[in-house]
Amino acid sequence: MSQIATRRWSTEHTIVAVAAILLMLPLLRIPVKIYLTLTIAGLAMGMLLFLIASGVSIIFGLMDVLNFAHGALFAWGAYVGFSVFEWLRKWVEADSVLQNIGVFLVAILAATAAVAVLGIILERVIVRRVYGNHLFQILITFGATIVLVELIRVFWGPNDEVMSVPLTFQGNWDIFDIIIARYRMICILIGIIVYAVLQLILKKTKLGTIVRAGVENREMVQAMGHNIFLLFTGVFAAGAALAALGGLSMSIFSLQVYPDMGSTYLLFAFIVVIIGGLGSVTGSLVGALIVGLSYNYVAYLVPWAAAGVNILIMIVILLIRPTGLFAAGK
Amino acid sequence: MADLTPVQIVRNKEKRQQFTSGSSFLKLGILILFLLVPFLFPSFKTVDLAIKIVIFALLVASFDILLGYTGILSFGHGMFFGIGAYCVAFLLEKYGSPSYVNLVFGLLSAMAVAIVLALVVSFISLRVKAIYFAMVTLALAELAIVLANKLSHFTGGEDGISISMPGVFSVAFNMGEFMGIDITGRTVTYYFILFTCLGLFLMMLRFIHSPLGRVLQAIRDNEQRAVALGYKTFIFQTISITFGCVSAALIGGLYATWVGFVNPESSLEVMAIMLNVLLMVIIGGMGTLYGGFVGAAFLLITQTFLPDLQHIARDFLPQATFLHSVLERWLLLFGTLFIMVVIFFPKGVIGSVQDYISRRKHFYAQRHN
Repeated sequence: MSQIATRRWSTEHTIVAVAAILLMLPLLRIPVKIYLTLTIAGLAMGMLLFLIASGVSIIFGLMDVLNFAHGALFAWGAYVGFSVFEWLRKWVEADSVLQNIGVFLVAILAATAAVAVLGIILERVIVRRVYGNHLFQILITFGATIVLVELIRVFWGPNDEVMSVPLTFQGNWDIFDIIIARYRMICILIGIIVYAVLQLILKKTKLGTIVRAGVENREMVQAMGHNIFLLFTGVFAAGAALAALGGLSMSIFSLQVYPDMGSTYLLFAFIVVIIGGLGSVTGSLVGALIVGLSYNYVAYLVPWAAAGVNILIMIVILLIRPTGLFAAGK
Repeated sequence: MADLTPVQIVRNKEKRQQFTSGSSFLKLGILILFLLVPFLFPSFKTVDLAIKIVIFALLVASFDILLGYTGILSFGHGMFFGIGAYCVAFLLEKYGSPSYVNLVFGLLSAMAVAIVLALVVSFISLRVKAIYFAMVTLALAELAIVLANKLSHFTGGEDGISISMPGVFSVAFNMGEFMGIDITGRTVTYYFILFTCLGLFLMMLRFIHSPLGRVLQAIRDNEQRAVALGYKTFIFQTISITFGCVSAALIGGLYATWVGFVNPESSLEVMAIMLNVLLMVIIGGMGTLYGGFVGAAFLLITQTFLPDLQHIARDFLPQATFLHSVLERWLLLFGTLFIMVVIFFPKGVIGSVQDYISRRKHFYAQRHN
């Protein structure tokens, strides 16, 4: 018994050591100050990718549905937030932390609520008809993506729009000559909070226990008398809300909204969940951080290779560990 | 002589009816129609539409080998199509000169690249679950677009490459009048593409009706049972994917010879091409091969005449601004149609018609007994 425990402990040690070495590797070519700035940018991007990837991952883990419409929900979140910012323009432009945070919270609430409703409709009307058939799920959610993106074009117009940033979120902190953009820290904070809340719900509440049990064995949960379909709808709505939060934060991060933004980030989300393991929340976090960090380092070192490095990592992971780094439900 | 098994009886019956049934006359009629298009409708718009229907029908059929006959969804089919187009463009223009040898080498190199890439992709992504294939091909296709745009000194960037065709295929070529119309390079190219596509389509038919094709269908319907019967599903799936992707690359090369240029937007764009291909395969019917023709014809004809429809709507109903904005967003209509077809007619046009005919046959057979 103790032997197994020590062995497991030592593998974890090796993983941490390997990760640390990999993190330090770029230092060979990058000056320390720029390295720290890049790391913070990478962490922020990773946290935002985590928001969209975790939804894809949980929905797949519990419902066995690969949701291609997640990118469209992400874009919807961004656009609802954009509308709130337009509506409360005074608060966005005000030089007061309280009002800025207030408008940010209102935008988050509106975006998550609206997109959660959208997710419920999507699950009830469309996805529910094709449970158990992967092919049709992908096809039908792909069709839903087209419709949702086109609806964005109908409601908000087909052009790119500039996303405004709340005034006090702009600018940098300068700590010992290391430039830290304020909004990046906010993104990291959002990611940590969401991860903590997700872990708390999954590990400490009865609902979370049922969800985790559902990931392992759906029929058994049903046999124990739980309404699995209600659970499905709830989880789908929660995943959609996470995507909306991700879309809103990402649009402020990248200063723009455009109707097709979902497909770009959905791609990142797929790479993340393949690296981290489909169905695992922690895996999504680790995968997202890997993708975010490596993207930023490589974009600094070899700009043209930035788009390829994540795909390269994904291929390596698929070759050495085809099911991803973490097991489903962990 | 031993009694025939039920399977053999059915096969013999199929063979006897192969050239006498109604559907075979229909197929022959459609082929003759396509053969006569340059003479019946000599306007460029119609000929262009006809050959695009053929090209896309073939692309959809090659996609159908993956989706309908093997049960694997690939988002990289547009990428293979684009690879074919770029290979031909490289050899005919960028790194070669317009000559017949280079045209053949372009098509062959397109197929070679497609084989290697398809093998690598299927080896990477098929080991866990078939759905990984969808995600990995989506990622690779996106990477291909980025590369085609970024490596502009190699691929011509966003501007792409214009192609001029050799000898009898070139636009300037003119053989004089025949039966009242000019036989130009375009006409020759039209028949070249048409006959290559016909050959390729016959090969696809042979492929899916071979014993290998039947194993693929068994894997699609019940993978576990196929494994239990002793078939190495991974190898069969890989063969099918490779065949489909090589066909797509070849068709991409043909497409490049017709339109005369390649750029990332027209030949590689995942969303645009994959969306069209998916719509065509769903509307025509998965797992039928012929469905591609129905889907391609429907979609391309609608897209060609949609601007006219918008004008009509504007002329007759000038007040209905909402209708105008919906008609301008034709993808919204097609997307809704797509979802409806997946939910209500998962077998598509051809599949539903086949179902209807077999039900009626069954009904009459019962009445005669």
